[in-house]
Amino acid sequence: MATRMKLKLKTVFVLYFMVSLLGLIYALMQLGQRCDCTEHDIPKDRTISRLRGELHRLQEQIRKSEATKQPQKPPARQPTVFVITPTYARLVQKAELTRLSQTFLHVPQLHWIVVEDSPHKTPLVTDLLVKSGVTYTHLHMPTAKDRKLQEGDPSWLKPRGVEQRNEGLRWLREDRRAQPGGDNQQGVVYFADDDNTYSLQIFEEMRSTQRVSVWPVGLVGGMKYERPVVEGGKVVRFHTGWRPSRPFPMDMAGFAVSLKLVLSNPEACFDGEAPMGFLESSFLQGLVTMDELEPKADNCSKVLVWHTRTEKPKMKREEALHAQGLGSDPAVEV
Amino acid sequence: MPKRRDIVAIVLIVLPWTLLITVWHQSTITPLLATQKDDRRDGRSNSRNTFAFKESCSLQNRDIVEVVRTEYVYSRPPPWSDILSTIHVITPTYSRPVQKAELTRLANTLLHVPNLHWILVEDSQRRTTLVTHLLRDMGLNYTHLNVETPRNYKIRGDTRDPRIPRGTIQRNLALRWLRETFNVNSSQPGIVYFADDDNTYSLELFEEMRSTKKVSVWPVAFVGGLRYESPKVNTLGKVYGWKTVFDPHRPFAIDMAGFAVNLRLILSKPQAYFKLRGVKGGYQESSLLKELVTLGDLEPKAANCTKVLVWHTRTEKPVLVNEGKKGFTDSNVEI
Repeated sequence: MATRMKLKLKTVFVLYFMVSLLGLIYALMQLGQRCDCTEHDIPKDRTISRLRGELHRLQEQIRKSEATKQPQKPPARQPTVFVITPTYARLVQKAELTRLSQTFLHVPQLHWIVVEDSPHKTPLVTDLLVKSGVTYTHLHMPTAKDRKLQEGDPSWLKPRGVEQRNEGLRWLREDRRAQPGGDNQQGVVYFADDDNTYSLQIFEEMRSTQRVSVWPVGLVGGMKYERPVVEGGKVVRFHTGWRPSRPFPMDMAGFAVSLKLVLSNPEACFDGEAPMGFLESSFLQGLVTMDELEPKADNCSKVLVWHTRTEKPKMKREEALHAQGLGSDPAVEV
Repeated sequence: MPKRRDIVAIVLIVLPWTLLITVWHQSTITPLLATQKDDRRDGRSNSRNTFAFKESCSLQNRDIVEVVRTEYVYSRPPPWSDILSTIHVITPTYSRPVQKAELTRLANTLLHVPNLHWILVEDSQRRTTLVTHLLRDMGLNYTHLNVETPRNYKIRGDTRDPRIPRGTIQRNLALRWLRETFNVNSSQPGIVYFADDDNTYSLELFEEMRSTKKVSVWPVAFVGGLRYESPKVNTLGKVYGWKTVFDPHRPFAIDMAGFAVNLRLILSKPQAYFKLRGVKGGYQESSLLKELVTLGDLEPKAANCTKVLVWHTRTEKPVLVNEGKKGFTDSNVEI
């Protein structure tokens, strides 16, 4: 009698368990399914269909205007501007790269080469580049420990971005060598730091670079702007408040080099051992002489790029909270 | 022994049912998972709606390098849509060396946003040529206003009245302009956003705020001495508090860049302005918002306030030591 009772209980239990399991699986499958919320869908569907109608209308407009522009369009494509940007992880990195990408997105035929100062590619930069819509190449090259700025070091103590810019040049040379046309390719190489501000006109000015072109840079060298002084269409000297006796006393953002010159001088790169302020000169010295420089920006009289710097955000409260174990969620990317 | 078996049996019977009930409970009340999926999809499809581009991915042999080529058909600014609400961006600005740079990069951002109207209010006696020419050359849809903050001339020289936070009078002028220009009865949908000229805005932010019915809020990075400040949102999708360290008991503990207001609300409450005097530090935003909305009416955006889409960056004051007393550089060159 007792065993039969036990057996019955066992079967009941097993049946109950199976039913519960099936119910659970059913519920989990229901999770991914749509619910019956038609009253939310109808106005959204209406908006979607109106937007689609507008999209078709705009696409027609673009197609019509392209068709009329066709005979006037020049057969050759514009030379590509290759922008090399070294970047490193810090609080404002995502913000800086975001607003930089928003500027670059306006420039046609631009190829952004981002080189991270990191032993591997970070997901933050990877995702940002994918979402940005800009044509890009994502590289990485860590700076050697003894060459790296430590916390609390003044920004001028060690040169920054040297290994990263050289890596960008190395990749560019390797990539372009594989292209048809060899050393006769059209293009311009520009070194753009991630905290500067660029107007859209500067990219159009630099596109016609034959060797090395130069222009003024705002808010640099302890002055409102630094610029090359142009007489008779040629650069005769440089107007700068700091060490004007340097071979090329200008900022990284103040010049662009033609791709042809970069490819035909495969050893030209930035010298990390150069004294402070001579980084640009270490690169340009082997490439060009002062009278070969091409002045842009209306004979170097307009400021189209500014050497802005972003403040380090104050994290006192964050650090205090962190000590208490109550810091903000690190999973939220900033 | 049978007792233990019974307990085990009971637990095994009850467990699946509790799991079932909690799962059902979650799926009916919080549509979080659904909106998260939608968010990612919307982010991608949004960029495809505003510009047309062809994308072809080419992965090279070496897996360290990825070259993504996109052909971008762009028009600056994007064509005006009859369906999208207009975003009125109010930016107060003042003359300083970095002004042109800040306005240039802000304009480069705004040029991507469809149906945007930029209201730039200068803190000056007259509209400056720098800003006039910049606005004219950019091609944005804009309104150029100006009003000077009254200065209190102290013994040391002219310093602003410390009790009036910067930009207040300018923002109030823009609000007044909106009320004078738009009729509360007209059906023109619009959103009002206060954007300072040194912050950084992602393009996703503008699309998030477009669906504001009253006042929407989201997290802002680098404010209040934290990585980010954000509103506290419960599982029902309502704001119930503020995740800040600096005075979280303010009625609206949020930065200027962390909220947007529907234009109809601004027009229907014509007495709502930023309070000029007697406002404690950090209470500026509350002085306007408490006239417009209550905490329960706030709409959380940015995936229920879990994503950071705007950064309160500040630009360093440039070191101009080499200019000297008389100015080394030609003052006719505009920077």
